[in-house]
Amino acid sequence: MIPCPPCASGTRRRFLLPGILIFCLLLPGAGPAAAGPHPSLEEDDPFAEYEDNRVPDPLEGWNRAVQSFNDVAIDYVLRPLHRGYVAITPDPVRTGLHNVFYNLLFPVRFVNNLLQGKGLAAGAEFSWFILNSTAGLGGIFDLAPSHPAIVPVEEEDLGQTLAVWGMKETLYIVWPFLGPSTLKDSLGMVGDTFLDPLAYMDPWIGFGLTAVKTFNDLDKILDIYDDMRGTAVEPYSAVRNGYIQYRRGKAAR
Amino acid sequence: MTASLARFLTYALLCLLVSRQPSPALAAESEARQRLESTINAVLAELGRPERNDPAKQQEIMDSVEKIILTLFDFGELSMRAVGPAWLTFSEDHKNRFQAAFTNLLRERYLEKLAGYDGETVTYLDESASKDGRRAEIQTSVDVKGTPVSVAYCMTRKDNWVVYDVVIERVSMVHYYRDQFQELLSKGDVEQLIRQVGDMAAKMRDLNRPRQAAQ
Repeated sequence: MIPCPPCASGTRRRFLLPGILIFCLLLPGAGPAAAGPHPSLEEDDPFAEYEDNRVPDPLEGWNRAVQSFNDVAIDYVLRPLHRGYVAITPDPVRTGLHNVFYNLLFPVRFVNNLLQGKGLAAGAEFSWFILNSTAGLGGIFDLAPSHPAIVPVEEEDLGQTLAVWGMKETLYIVWPFLGPSTLKDSLGMVGDTFLDPLAYMDPWIGFGLTAVKTFNDLDKILDIYDDMRGTAVEPYSAVRNGYIQYRRGKAAR
Repeated sequence: MTASLARFLTYALLCLLVSRQPSPALAAESEARQRLESTINAVLAELGRPERNDPAKQQEIMDSVEKIILTLFDFGELSMRAVGPAWLTFSEDHKNRFQAAFTNLLRERYLEKLAGYDGETVTYLDESASKDGRRAEIQTSVDVKGTPVSVAYCMTRKDNWVVYDVVIERVSMVHYYRDQFQELLSKGDVEQLIRQVGDMAAKMRDLNRPRQAAQ
């Protein structure tokens, strides 16, 4: 994390107030939901709660083929390229790039918080964006974590919004390069591009920047992917299950 | 006015007292949490020993950690839940051999992570229990280099409170493995499943040993 450059606390407060007042007080507060009890806590039957909870996988043949393709793409193309990128790019530059892209995607998180009725979280996102866009020099410096008034919030997207609205996953699908998804999350991903500033740039520049954004953060994805693939007894089911549980967990918060 | 205020306060106090009466669920939360906390504290105390940097002592410390952790987990319950309904068709011999293989797999999968312990702290956030007080869930947060990771322990009361599932960032370990085991059972038989789980444990052990030796 890039250290916080000196900035006047008065400046911070001035930018925090609109966020807190407009979005935390006027909108219905519905911050991150407290984690509820485990679904099986009241169940005596240890097998009961799970069977009806599966996501249909009618495209399994396609999905397995694409997962194999992605494995090869990761091992022989993306990982070596990423290793080279990490070697020549100083950590502060990578962190700064991550912060700038994260800040640019503020509209996605903000609107989805509103669509889910999470007024407090939307307020926090708004304050975070204003603070980092100004005192954080266009988002290069992430000042929000060190600010006591800005609580950390979940990163929201349209896939989670659709889940909150009651939409089912419908089916599981693995996309080339993009990895595991569901029909609901794929629709969400397309919908979110309307709020992505990069989508409104010249197509080549926008696509290039999106590639840089994804590539810059690839190590986090590679760590999870390697861990799952290296320790799973049946990697396809492991990735599918891990993805579905993770996404459901995010939507439930 | 004063009388009605006094009456209100009396009712409020009574309600508060009644709601705090000991119940099976409350007792379960408290006992389960104490059991979990004391075990985690014992593990962290071992991992935080100053002689941990001495290569000669490392194995001894990890053995001690393993011994403590094994008392907290009920691998029979974990195996049963991870296999799912097919468990009911397993013979006693299958159950024993599967449990041994799965225990080895989990040991290699999770103990290796503890070998890289770097002063992470655990915060206890919330507790809940079933009405009959037989099962409890303890929510914790582990601070990993400044990032909070949510870890929930599902526990059941046997001779002592034991863990039957760990839910990391809302991903249940039991469900994660159940999907895999059901897939393997749909394509093969129990013997093949036991062999595949055992092979994966052995593969991970071979990968982990050189890493541990290098630390």
